[in-house]
Amino acid sequence: MALRAPFRRRSLSHRLLMLLAEVAVPTVAIVLWWVLSANSTSLYFPPLSKIMTSFRKIWLFSHFGSDVVPSLENLAAGFAIATIAGIVLGMALGLLPRLADAVAPTVEFMRAVPGVALLPAALLLLGIGPEMKISLIAYGTVWPILLNTIDGVRGVDPIVVDVASSYRIRPQDRFLRIILPAASPQIVAGMRSALSIGITVIIFSEMIGSTNGIGFQLLSAQHSFAIADMWAGIVLLGILGYLLNLAFRGFESYLLRWHRGMRQLAGS
Amino acid sequence: MTTRSLLAYRRNPATTRATRPKSRAPSSGVRNAYRVAATLLALALWQVAVVSGLVSDAAVATPTNIAREAGPLLASHTFGTALLDTISSWAQGFVVSLLVAIPIGLALGSSDLAYRMSRFTIDFLRTIPPVALIPLALLLYGATPKMAFVLIVFGSMWPVLLQAMYGVHQLDPAVRDVARAYRLRRLDRIRFLVLPSAAPFVATGIRLAATISLLLAIGAELLGGAPGIGAAITLQQQNGDIPKMWVYVVVSAALGVILNLALISLERRVLKWHSAHRSVVAA
Repeated sequence: MALRAPFRRRSLSHRLLMLLAEVAVPTVAIVLWWVLSANSTSLYFPPLSKIMTSFRKIWLFSHFGSDVVPSLENLAAGFAIATIAGIVLGMALGLLPRLADAVAPTVEFMRAVPGVALLPAALLLLGIGPEMKISLIAYGTVWPILLNTIDGVRGVDPIVVDVASSYRIRPQDRFLRIILPAASPQIVAGMRSALSIGITVIIFSEMIGSTNGIGFQLLSAQHSFAIADMWAGIVLLGILGYLLNLAFRGFESYLLRWHRGMRQLAGS
Repeated sequence: MTTRSLLAYRRNPATTRATRPKSRAPSSGVRNAYRVAATLLALALWQVAVVSGLVSDAAVATPTNIAREAGPLLASHTFGTALLDTISSWAQGFVVSLLVAIPIGLALGSSDLAYRMSRFTIDFLRTIPPVALIPLALLLYGATPKMAFVLIVFGSMWPVLLQAMYGVHQLDPAVRDVARAYRLRRLDRIRFLVLPSAAPFVATGIRLAATISLLLAIGAELLGGAPGIGAAITLQQQNGDIPKMWVYVVVSAALGVILNLALISLERRVLKWHSAHRSVVAA
C-alpha cells in the first residue's frame, strides 16, 4: 500500500476530468429525457417540461409543509426509536451470547415478517394516524440496527476486553468508552441500511388509508390521472432519498472520523 | 456489510476469548432446548397480550387461533394458488434482475472511467423507493403479475449491479500488475482474476436482491393487487377474518426465513475457497 501511494496521487486536472465524467452522464440523461419527451403524446410518459412545472407547483412549496414535512417527521421519529431500541437490545444480546442464541429463532422470524404485510394489522390496531406509520417504520428499521449491534459487540477485540477487566475499569466505562465505540462502525452501517428501508416504509404506509404525505400524493395523483403530478412525486422521492443518504454519509464520516484515521494508520 | 443471520452465527476464533475454557460451551442439545423454550415463551407472551386485551383481537390473532386456522387453510386450493403466484413473481423478477445487473455491473466496474461516470446516476436511481413506482406500474400494466415483475426487477437490480461493479473495481492493484507482467491473456485474466475476486461481492448482491425481490413481490400484491399472498392478506382483512390474515402474514415471514437460510448455505458451499468463509485463517 505504501509503495503504491506515489502512483495513486493524481494531478488536479485529472481529478477535474474525473469530476466532469461523473457529472456528464446524468446531464446527458436529463437532456435526452427532455428532448425525447418534448413532443411526447403518451399519456403515461409526459414531457419532462410538464413534470418540472408540476414539480414546482406542488413541491415548491405549497405541499411541502403539508406533505413532505409530516413524512420526514414520521421517518425521524420511527428511525430514532429503532436506533435506540436496536442499540440497547443489541448491546444486551451481544454481551449475553447464550440469551442471543436462545432468542435467535424468534428474532429471525420477526425480522422476516415483511413490514408491508403488517400494514393491514397496523391499520386495524392504530388507525391511520402518525402512530401507525411511526410504529411500522420503527418495526421495519430496527432489525439491521439490532443485528449489526450484536455483530459489532461480538467483534470487539477480546484482548481489549481482557485488559479492561484486568485494569478493573468500571462497567459503565466499559460499555460507553470501550464496547460502544468499538461497535459503532458496524452500528452505523446497520443504520445506513435501516434508513433506506425507512424511506420505503414511509411511502407505502402513506399509500393506504392516509390523508397526507408523499405516498398519499403519489397515489391520489395516479387516481385522478394527473400523470405529470405523479412523475413529479417520483422525482421528488429520488432527490429526497439521495439527499438523505448524503446527509447520512456526512453524519457517518463525522462520527467515525477516528475510525478512518485508525484504519489509515494501520494500513500505512 | 449486511448481517447474515443470528441462527447461522459461527464463532470467529480470532475474536473468541482465549482465556475461556472450551468445556463451558453448551452442547447442541442444550442450545436447542433453550431455543425452543425462548420461542415458546415469546408465543405465550403474544397469546397473553391478545387475550388480556392489551392488543386488540380485532387486529391481532392469537397464536392458537392462527394455528387452528392454518391447518385447513394451508391444505386449500386458494392458498396453493396464492403461494405459487408469489413464488413465480419472485423467481421471475429475481432471475431477470440478475441477468440484467450482473453483466452490466461487471462491465461498468472493469473500467475506471465507466465506474466514475455511472456512479452518480446509479446512486440516484437506486434511492428511488420501488414502491413509489407502484402507481406508474399500475397504470401501465394494471393489477397483474407483470406489474409485480417490473417492480421487482427495478427494485432488486441495483444492489447486484453495485456489488458487481464494486467487486470488479476493487481488484487488488498488485494482482492486476502481476497479471500484466506475466502477460496473461485477457480471457484468462477475466476467468482467473476478475471473476473470482468479484464473486463474494456479487454473492452479497444476490443475497440482498433475493430478499428485496420477495419483499417487493409481497408489496406489489398487497398495495397493487397483483395475485398472491400479499393480495390474500388484504382480502382477509377486508373480510374481517383476522386469524386467516395472520396465517398469510406468518407464511410470508416463513418464506423469508427459508430463503435467507437457503442462500446462506448456498453461499457457503459455493464460496468455500474464499477467506471470509474459511474461519481458520480469518485473523
